[in-house]
Amino acid sequence: MLTGRRSTNMIKIFVLIAACVITLFPVAWMISTAFTPNGEAFSSIIPAHATIGNFITLFGLRDQFPIIRWLCNSLLVATCTAVLVTLIDSLAAFALARLRFWGRKVIFNMVIVSLVVPFIALLIPLYVEFAKYNLIDSYWALILPYTSNAFGVFLLYQFFIGIPNELQEAAVMDGANKLIIWKNIFLPLSTPATATLALLTFMNVYNDFFWPLVATTSTPMRTLTVGVQVVSVSQYSTNYPLLMTATLISVIPMVIAFLFTQRQLMQGVVMTGIK
Amino acid sequence: MMIDPTIRDPDISYVRKIGNGMAVYKFWDSLSSFLFTIPFLVCFVLFLVAPLIFGVIISLHAWNPLVGGGPFVGLHNYTQLFRLSTLTGHDFWLGFANTAIFVCISVPLLMVIPLFLAYLIFRSPLKSLFRPILFFPTVLSATAITTVWDFLLQTQNGPVNNVIHAHIPWLVRQPWAWISIDLATIWWSMGFNMVIIYAALTQIPESTMEAARIDGAGSFRVFASIVIPQVRNVLSFIIVISTIASFNLFAQPMLMTSGGPNDSTMSLSYFIYEHGFNDFQMGPATAMAFLMGIILAIVSSIQYRLSRRED
Repeated sequence: MLTGRRSTNMIKIFVLIAACVITLFPVAWMISTAFTPNGEAFSSIIPAHATIGNFITLFGLRDQFPIIRWLCNSLLVATCTAVLVTLIDSLAAFALARLRFWGRKVIFNMVIVSLVVPFIALLIPLYVEFAKYNLIDSYWALILPYTSNAFGVFLLYQFFIGIPNELQEAAVMDGANKLIIWKNIFLPLSTPATATLALLTFMNVYNDFFWPLVATTSTPMRTLTVGVQVVSVSQYSTNYPLLMTATLISVIPMVIAFLFTQRQLMQGVVMTGIK
Repeated sequence: MMIDPTIRDPDISYVRKIGNGMAVYKFWDSLSSFLFTIPFLVCFVLFLVAPLIFGVIISLHAWNPLVGGGPFVGLHNYTQLFRLSTLTGHDFWLGFANTAIFVCISVPLLMVIPLFLAYLIFRSPLKSLFRPILFFPTVLSATAITTVWDFLLQTQNGPVNNVIHAHIPWLVRQPWAWISIDLATIWWSMGFNMVIIYAALTQIPESTMEAARIDGAGSFRVFASIVIPQVRNVLSFIIVISTIASFNLFAQPMLMTSGGPNDSTMSLSYFIYEHGFNDFQMGPATAMAFLMGIILAIVSSIQYRLSRRED
């Protein structure tokens, strides 16, 4: 019996190790190719003549391939959006979950209904809207469309609902106004949910491709996802070491975020599944 | 809990001094509560409600973005979609069929593989090692994963072909083009579903499984009769979100196959993008996007209803 269980355990671990190898195989190739000279791409997963020449070449192409500028754009846009969305959604979720006011039900139902609107339906009208005010190719266009994040309101709403009433009542007794109650009670208590929302928003915006593809037109305004693709595919489509170098640089922020926040990230993914 | 006792609610003290009864107080109370939703409502109206209304207007015109307008054409852009002989009608249903093929392959696999992996991890040691590794690709961008898979799946000397000692035309021939896109997509997003299913598995009472095992049920039996029924709600949720995500397929065909060979991997979103931003036919493209949105909403609500009724 014991040996039987041990051997099935071995099989499980073997299968899981195989799954991990398949998962990491493409990542390993990306890293190794980034350090391979152009002529030797494809030859082996361990570069015969490891070099940082691709990085030097890439940073030298400052006009066609301003990857540091793109990186800054992506980080700026994702950070601003995460802060804005968290703040806006937290205020709205607090009011919807803990305060009584006229129109509360209507707003809540609007939030729920809007969850089914797919982005593709908004793509062209949003573009036309921003083009009308000459905001295409600006940071406004890259940030603002993400702020109508009904999902975040819903997520924080569910968290606020669960906070005990006594805390709020005690604060009202002490004469605290609503803003103080939100700032001193609900914001600190909801840190896990708020941080998760900020993290998921950052990740989604940083990784988004469709909206920045149409919202930017000039090379310096591109975000990383679009810049690496649009420029590289048109000019360097066969220079795989250079492409892999750019891709490697583009994933580094998310890899760092993943290493430090994997627990919260996975928790956040689970929270999206709670209904 | 730090609450500053020196700050008083100005509204309340003001109203009490006037002593004008509850009605005034209630009005100010209601208004000040409503103010909390204003920042969200402004964004919501500007970047969700307004685009939807604006989209209806655009779809009723032969809209040219270079001019910023165009002649009113009524429902013409929509009626075109139901005639296969027209350009947009043809492209819409071709894109729809292509996307449906992708959805039909990816959704079952995006349920079965994560379920299998989640259960394996759940029942094995080293959970905290395997789970993050398998989850990892989810945090990468669609463009990063397509660039890497495009490299891996090159026919000439591509690392995948080298590993399996084959000469498969992955990205350029069917059915390999779909297999490539599915492979990259499943590799990318299975970790997301796996983490959700894993969380559901940890909610199953250990005593239930123990009891089944004492009764002599084998691993497979426990899995089929105890685990599956317990996580069925989560599985139906996975099906709904995977269907929606797969239906919005865009970056993978655009960057891996360019919609080829012969438009066979042109997804619906990709066609909409091409019509709107390459051909500048924004009226018809918006009509296509709205019809797609309606179909998507109907499909996901049917799936949701079905999964709820089985309870």
